[in-house]
Amino acid sequence: MDIELSHRIDAIQELPGHQDRAWNVAWNPTKALISSCSADKTVRMYSYTDASNSSTPTFSHIATIPTGHTKTVRSIAWAPSGKTLATASFDANIGIWEQEESDENNGEWECASLLEGHETECKSVAYSSSGTLLASCSRDKTVWIWEVHPDADFECLGVLMEHTQDVKCVAWHPEEEILASASYDDTIKMYIDDPSDDWFCFLTLTGHSSTVWSLAWAPKGSYLASASDDKTVRIWRRIAEHKWECTLVIEGNERSVYSVTWGVGKSSSPSLGWLAAVGSDGVVRIWDISENEDSTLQQKLIARLPEAHGVHDINSVAWCPRRGMEDLLATTGDDGATRIWRVQPVS
Amino acid sequence: MAVEVFNPNPVIFAPVKSTKPSSKADNIWVLDPLDIQDEAEEVDSEEPIDEHEIFDLIRSIADPEHPNTLEELRVVSAPQVKIIGNRVHVEFTPTVPHCGMSILIGLSIRVRLLRALPSRFKIDLTLKPGSHQSELAVNKQLNDKERVAAALENPALVQALEQSLANAS
Repeated sequence: MDIELSHRIDAIQELPGHQDRAWNVAWNPTKALISSCSADKTVRMYSYTDASNSSTPTFSHIATIPTGHTKTVRSIAWAPSGKTLATASFDANIGIWEQEESDENNGEWECASLLEGHETECKSVAYSSSGTLLASCSRDKTVWIWEVHPDADFECLGVLMEHTQDVKCVAWHPEEEILASASYDDTIKMYIDDPSDDWFCFLTLTGHSSTVWSLAWAPKGSYLASASDDKTVRIWRRIAEHKWECTLVIEGNERSVYSVTWGVGKSSSPSLGWLAAVGSDGVVRIWDISENEDSTLQQKLIARLPEAHGVHDINSVAWCPRRGMEDLLATTGDDGATRIWRVQPVS
Repeated sequence: MAVEVFNPNPVIFAPVKSTKPSSKADNIWVLDPLDIQDEAEEVDSEEPIDEHEIFDLIRSIADPEHPNTLEELRVVSAPQVKIIGNRVHVEFTPTVPHCGMSILIGLSIRVRLLRALPSRFKIDLTLKPGSHQSELAVNKQLNDKERVAAALENPALVQALEQSLANAS
């Protein structure tokens, strides 16, 4: 690119090991742990050394969970406690994984529960911010909401059949019990619980002209970003308690956008945080999102890295959620690798 | 599975002998004359792959419901293959506009190319515009990598694909 960008994306480490396409990566929210899942049906876990104060972390492989899923593990999600990992598989099941008690944090990861119910491939799974709810979605067009009970016991609170096609992604609001889902039917839907009745869909967001692959709430929750096969990232603004509208369309991706993540970032000026998106064009793009005085949104491309996984598609991207490490980014790709990056100002 | 034959009487076309640009007569569909010169420098491993080679990979795929190849049924043809950089675009034409086999045919083309081409190539697959009553739905499904990946973990579907690909040379 000819434009001079304010930041650069430095490679920290490559974490190889999956024997097939890596679909998803998830940082543990409380511990120095990151995990990835793959079409090879495994989950790989890595620990890392301190990454705050700009010291460069080192990642080490500490465990591989064979999972026992009979098909691709498509996505993974950590509970907010950091103690439980959920896996969503093309075998239509959700796995719940917990580590055996041990002194040195090296206990085996065991399947504490297997949630059955979806008819076809599960595509995404997500814990609510309190950790008391879990959502899953599938090609069977449904979104399931589960209540998390002690001892890895789960109760299905609702099956939402609002989408007309596969549901690709579910994402909970960072503070409230609002669930968003994205679909092959090109729409995004939002759901809340009716205290006297069931969970229901209160809003459908239309605007994307093809599959919506991924959702990311802004850290403060008043915005939602969505990534689509239509090559755009859209940002939706909350304009009333139960009302959202599209406020920004970010173009620039050359092919399908598969994943988007919104972190607080390390901006020097007032900012809504850093948004990163990846996809089939293999480029990592990072924007600083800020509000103008008239409260319209502004996106500024601050960094861009082509061929981040060589010639391969990039399937997922995630900001490190841990304090002091908001400039760390992880990506996974069709090369089976997870790559760790640090976004730094160009000095 | 009860098999519905979507087109009981397809028109069969004679295959061309080779699409390799070995003689000028075979080059009627070459769009860019520079492609011919690539043949002369067939040494490098980074040798560019041209439309002819892509077509050679898919022409002998068997049709799922007839004892013919996709080339013989004119489902695929050399001019329907385009390469720009690392992007391969293959257009194909179902024999009838209600062809229920279009997804399977498309998957067989995609799998053939995924297996044979270096991973740097991104493959886009579309029906010939106007050739199918569910054109957009078929195109969307064939280019959704997640759906394709899931389909390739379905044993019944993989078995059908392997049959189509068994004699593909």
